[in-house]
Amino acid sequence: MHNLWLVAKNEYRRTVLRKAFLIATLSIPAAILVLVGLVLVIERSGQDNGPVGYVDDAGVMDESLQATLPDPEERVPIYAYPDKEAALAALQRGEVQAFFVLSEGYPASLATELYTLEGSLGGRAWEQFDDLVRASLVAGYPEEVQQRLLDGSEVTVYDVGSGRQFSESGIANIILPIVAAAFFFIATMIASGYMLEAVAREKENRTLEVLVTSVTPVQLIAGKTVGLLGAVLTQLAVYAAALVVGIAVASPFVPELQQVVVPWGFLGMVVLLFFPAYLLFAAIMVTIGASVTEMEQGQQVAGMLNLLFMAPLFVLPLLLENSTHPLIVGMSLFPITSFLTLSLRWGLGSVPVWQVALGWGLLAASAVAMVWVAARIFRAGMLVYGQPLSAKAAWAALRG
Amino acid sequence: MSIVEVSHLAKRFGQTQAVDDVSFEVGQGEIFGLLGPNGAGKTTTIRMMLDIFRPDAGTVRILGSALDEPKKQRIGYMPEERGLYKDQKLEPTLIYLATLKGMAEAAARERLPGWLKRLDLWEHRSKKVQALSKGMQQKAQLIATLLHEPDLIIVDEPFAGLDPVNTRLIEQIFEEQRHAGKCILMSTHQMHQVEALCDRIVLINAGRTVLYGPVGDVKRRFAGNAVVLEGQGDFAGLPGVLETRKENGSWHLALERGVDPQALFRALAAREGVKLERFALEEPSLDDIFVQVVQEGAAAPEGSHA
Repeated sequence: MHNLWLVAKNEYRRTVLRKAFLIATLSIPAAILVLVGLVLVIERSGQDNGPVGYVDDAGVMDESLQATLPDPEERVPIYAYPDKEAALAALQRGEVQAFFVLSEGYPASLATELYTLEGSLGGRAWEQFDDLVRASLVAGYPEEVQQRLLDGSEVTVYDVGSGRQFSESGIANIILPIVAAAFFFIATMIASGYMLEAVAREKENRTLEVLVTSVTPVQLIAGKTVGLLGAVLTQLAVYAAALVVGIAVASPFVPELQQVVVPWGFLGMVVLLFFPAYLLFAAIMVTIGASVTEMEQGQQVAGMLNLLFMAPLFVLPLLLENSTHPLIVGMSLFPITSFLTLSLRWGLGSVPVWQVALGWGLLAASAVAMVWVAARIFRAGMLVYGQPLSAKAAWAALRG
Repeated sequence: MSIVEVSHLAKRFGQTQAVDDVSFEVGQGEIFGLLGPNGAGKTTTIRMMLDIFRPDAGTVRILGSALDEPKKQRIGYMPEERGLYKDQKLEPTLIYLATLKGMAEAAARERLPGWLKRLDLWEHRSKKVQALSKGMQQKAQLIATLLHEPDLIIVDEPFAGLDPVNTRLIEQIFEEQRHAGKCILMSTHQMHQVEALCDRIVLINAGRTVLYGPVGDVKRRFAGNAVVLEGQGDFAGLPGVLETRKENGSWHLALERGVDPQALFRALAAREGVKLERFALEEPSLDDIFVQVVQEGAAAPEGSHA
């Protein structure tokens, strides 16, 4: 057990100190940083938060309600003008950046005119004028009704098939699970790729013969698996931290992000799928690594397999259109594709519980079987230098 | 006390019988030579001793009983296929390998500088292994074999690729290890090193034991199977001679088993144009014995087996 941890520690240290790993790990936070920076720059420089005016020919506006609008410190002053001429004069004097005209028939037609000097209006000014109109329109109702009318409905969707429920508040809550699934999947692919490299490198460096006189093949493989899992979890933690910080910083400027709810149920399912999926992919990579002579050969074979792992992405249109299509259900159960398919389906809608349970069971069972295969092939292939492990030798190894 | 007991070991790969009924013992404080031509089964035997391969038949006892995980930590192994992590720095690589052998990291850090300095690698400790010369990597591999102070040292072709100075240094280290009571099993083709270092040998050919015993005994058994000549004339193509070579002005003739040196002497005397100045029985070198036994592909003389 001690040696397993030594192997794991060494593999972890070697992996996280590699340039490629550091670049891959820091690239996502860097991308989020750039994205948040862009949001801030656009927010600060691209908007005129100067006053706006309005002409209320419909008689629905109550200027005093400005005091009740949210975020008083970021409020854009809104001035009322008696007629269009007065508002136009104010616009030309630069008192306001734009003004709205609510026509006489506004309550029925919602017809509104906007007058500006440069053809555009800052998003915040527009939103706040809109808030003032809404507040004015509902002013006659009791306070609790006003609030309900302004907030709209909180819809909770109950999926009878899966027994699951989820909130439909904001596009971010739909995108986030997909992003999370993609992160986990990419992390799995990266980690199993590292595993291929780790095994092929041991063989290429001729270090296996020395190592297996110190540790058992199982300790060696398990140690590498744990070490690389640690590395990839570190990577995921950095991604998650960057995402949380990015959302926290950007949410004041992007209203959709304020509605983000952490999808704990989804994350729980992804984590549940992640471990057997990682074990399966890693075992496949060990098998490839132990069978080839050089890392490049292994990477070529793994590249083709990766296409299979990513097959659910190729049928994404079908998955979006009809997630109960037999092909999608099949891919949800097939161990190689179940991780990504189930994650996407869960993130985009719902999956019957039996499919999740069966998919996970098949994934876990195939992972265990593949670990057994990998251990046999590894033992047979580790000392075959300069030539690939023949199919005959591999078959003999599997038969024991 | 026997540190290694190999008994009737056999291993087959497909149609090839790689090792067939090989037996030998190695004692404490002994340097033992495991000899044989390429493909004789030496490496397979070593791998079975180390539980890398499972034997089809026979048993291996290491340090008194079957090999287990704690005992592996008391073995230092330098395989013929050398290997260190090329993209890693030398010092952490050696410390990692020592800790895998059960050595505390602090102890490994304490002992390593002495070895690095002795083998002239101290200045290179922070370099990546791939930046070291082949000879340096060979020495680094030896440190990896010895750093954890094993009781049993198994080295496969330890002198390959080393210059004479480093060869002498490694010989010296092996002598020290022997005096410290360590058991060294050495597989090599370099017979002069075997003669200089080994107490006993086993010679394997085509998977079978063909010679086994103390070096002195083996040489004595083969005395009379080689003669040394000085003189003029044609010494080639003599009947019953396996190999003829000239060294320092003398001719060394390795004879087939059973050939009487006196018969050779008579044949030479009868040959026209031959003028003999010296004819003497030669105690054969291990090199000669190796060539003779392997070329004949026959069993050793009576009593040479264990």
